[in-house]
Amino acid sequence: MSEPILITGAGIVCAIGLDKTEVLHALLSEQTGIKPLKYLKTTHKEFPVGEVKLSDEEMATKLGIASDAPTTRTSLMGMMALEEALTEARLNRHDRESNNVAFVSGTTVGGMDKSEQYYNDFLANDSRNAYIATHDCGSCTEMIADHFGGFSVITSISTACSSAANAIITGANMIQAGITDMVVAGGSECITKFHLNGFNSLMILDQNNCRPFDATRAGLNLGEGAAYIVLESASSAAKRGVRPLATLSGYGNACDAYHQTASSPDGEGAFRAMEEALAMASLQPDNIQYINAHGTGTPNNDQSESAAMRRLFGNAMPFVSSTKSFTGHTTSASGSIETVICLLAMKHRFCPVNLNWQNADDECVVPVHQKLSDIALHHVLCNSFGFGGNDSSLLLSDINL
Amino acid sequence: MRKIYIQSAEQISIQKPLCDEWMDAPELYDGPYTRSIDPNFKQYLSPTESRRLGKILKRALVTSVEAIRNSHTEMPDAIITGTGLGCIENTEFFLSALCNDGEQLLKPTYFMQSTHNTISSLISIHTGNHGYNVTYSQKGMSFDSALLDAWIQLQMSKIDSALVGGHDEMTPSYFTLLQRIGYVGGDMQGVCGECAVSFMVTADATDGMCQLGGIKMLYHPSADMLRNALSALLTEAELDEQDIDFVMTGVNGKKSNDEVYDKLVETLFPDKPLLRYKNVFGECYSASGLGLYTAASCLKRNSIPEFLKYGGIKSKRDDPRNILMVNQYENKMFSFIILKSACCK
Repeated sequence: MSEPILITGAGIVCAIGLDKTEVLHALLSEQTGIKPLKYLKTTHKEFPVGEVKLSDEEMATKLGIASDAPTTRTSLMGMMALEEALTEARLNRHDRESNNVAFVSGTTVGGMDKSEQYYNDFLANDSRNAYIATHDCGSCTEMIADHFGGFSVITSISTACSSAANAIITGANMIQAGITDMVVAGGSECITKFHLNGFNSLMILDQNNCRPFDATRAGLNLGEGAAYIVLESASSAAKRGVRPLATLSGYGNACDAYHQTASSPDGEGAFRAMEEALAMASLQPDNIQYINAHGTGTPNNDQSESAAMRRLFGNAMPFVSSTKSFTGHTTSASGSIETVICLLAMKHRFCPVNLNWQNADDECVVPVHQKLSDIALHHVLCNSFGFGGNDSSLLLSDINL
Repeated sequence: MRKIYIQSAEQISIQKPLCDEWMDAPELYDGPYTRSIDPNFKQYLSPTESRRLGKILKRALVTSVEAIRNSHTEMPDAIITGTGLGCIENTEFFLSALCNDGEQLLKPTYFMQSTHNTISSLISIHTGNHGYNVTYSQKGMSFDSALLDAWIQLQMSKIDSALVGGHDEMTPSYFTLLQRIGYVGGDMQGVCGECAVSFMVTADATDGMCQLGGIKMLYHPSADMLRNALSALLTEAELDEQDIDFVMTGVNGKKSNDEVYDKLVETLFPDKPLLRYKNVFGECYSASGLGLYTAASCLKRNSIPEFLKYGGIKSKRDDPRNILMVNQYENKMFSFIILKSACCK
């Protein structure tokens, strides 16, 4: 890598908190955000979910958006997370306009929350036209960007559950290639009936709280949220006088090329993504202290991901945990939400616990199931895998090395 | 800058598919909306694939496989797709069942093929490709975003080749919705179509259709930002302003759209001969991919069909060397792409 890419700001909104402080507190006190359904209007009350504990109206009020303005839950959560990231990186509108700053956001359901409410109105009459225009992925990114302004390039990535991780990879490539000075990257996704029912039809939702890597695991819990990080070169951070949180020292994107919704038994895509991230940073497997696993809690994912980790790390297995046991599976946003969780873990020297793990499975790694504090995390991997085998892995490193 | 080439390009659109017969005898359309002319998919796909896959997936797979076959690269290092609406037909099937039949009887088939990345991942599964795989969805800049990603990674030498696609299907019901919000239909004289276009973009010059000179994308740019981006792009492409023989725009016969191009041309290229492509290929979110295909086809043939020319300024030369393509979406997002004739490399 020519010049290190630094992370100089981070913002997060998810089931365990509306900012980094709240999320950190929940992680340390082992309080899950997965609860009975409250905000989504669905008949499937049997599934616990990791909802952001605010209604759309409450979020709009917090953001100072008029209650009658057409918005989507994905864009509202995105705005809240972006505000925290921009504030920490001291990247106000003037700074954005006087630099070349891109915004790259990952989402898949986009404005589906409104489309599924109004689809029949869309077809029959003119009453909900505003929400036709907010249906697609790109419009969510536009709404989030326009709420703050000053971005010179925007684009959206949609690779299902690895969207946010891939947005971060695209952002890092843009900076390395000299296309932009800074990139704010991540993702946002709300729970919708569309994908709750889709995942239900695939029979991968658990009616109990999810248990990633446990022998009795029976599926995932859906979550929602948004997170963004500010990426910039070391020289840009130095010029602006901002303090970096960590280095994005490597990343890998590979395709499992196995099945549209299932992962291969040997975890080929996951293995390649992690291997590529290590190679880019010129690190060896035993340099990694912690992996924030994709760890959805489905029988298939956790077996496949474990196989990939075992292939790469052998006997030098780092600490592994899935924080989806706290947040639920935040789908397109999971890559950036879990990146921010990794940043918190590195800064506060702890390994997040993989909640609800009790029974070892021969086909799975044994995750961190008891509090591990005062641990130096120099190098951390964060995995995100999507439908279609869109597998990505991000490597975060300590800035003090 | 590393020299990058478009080695092959294949389309399934509202023109005759998988060939460039449209350059001699284009299909003409009056209506506000038409669907693509599909090839006989059974010639290209297995019986299971032709039966099970939705239209957008079959088209994407066939244009991809043909573009790879017509290139000198068997296995691209990256598969990058741009799509504005993704697999909207399957999305609507699932959405409609959800809204009308409730939440109890939904089958997974349509959901499994509803995500935008189904396209890129299907291509990787079909071809056994484990390389970089990403999908962009940014309205009228979806394809441009995918091309920009390929360009960046080729320049960084992270990859030597990329299969870059632009894919959008348009269902009758979604056409109705897009009419409601004024994207197509209304006063638009052109047609709303569909797009499946795939390119092999490589660092290998062998038998290239043309050279990709560079790409810039901008959001809410000021006039100065547009001018600066254009000037930087020309420098990177090692061209002077006078080397641009034609400017290709995305005029589609809709006043609000065409006015933006007219203003841009007036400001930046008042003396340039102009080209269009949406009069032949129609409008859709990834139509800029068909624009790139049109420009690349002209450079490959070393001639420009008369029906692409507009604006009244005659070209000094009929064998185009360099074409600048301009794309914009709702006067908010802009892109510039330069294509150079492969013979001037």
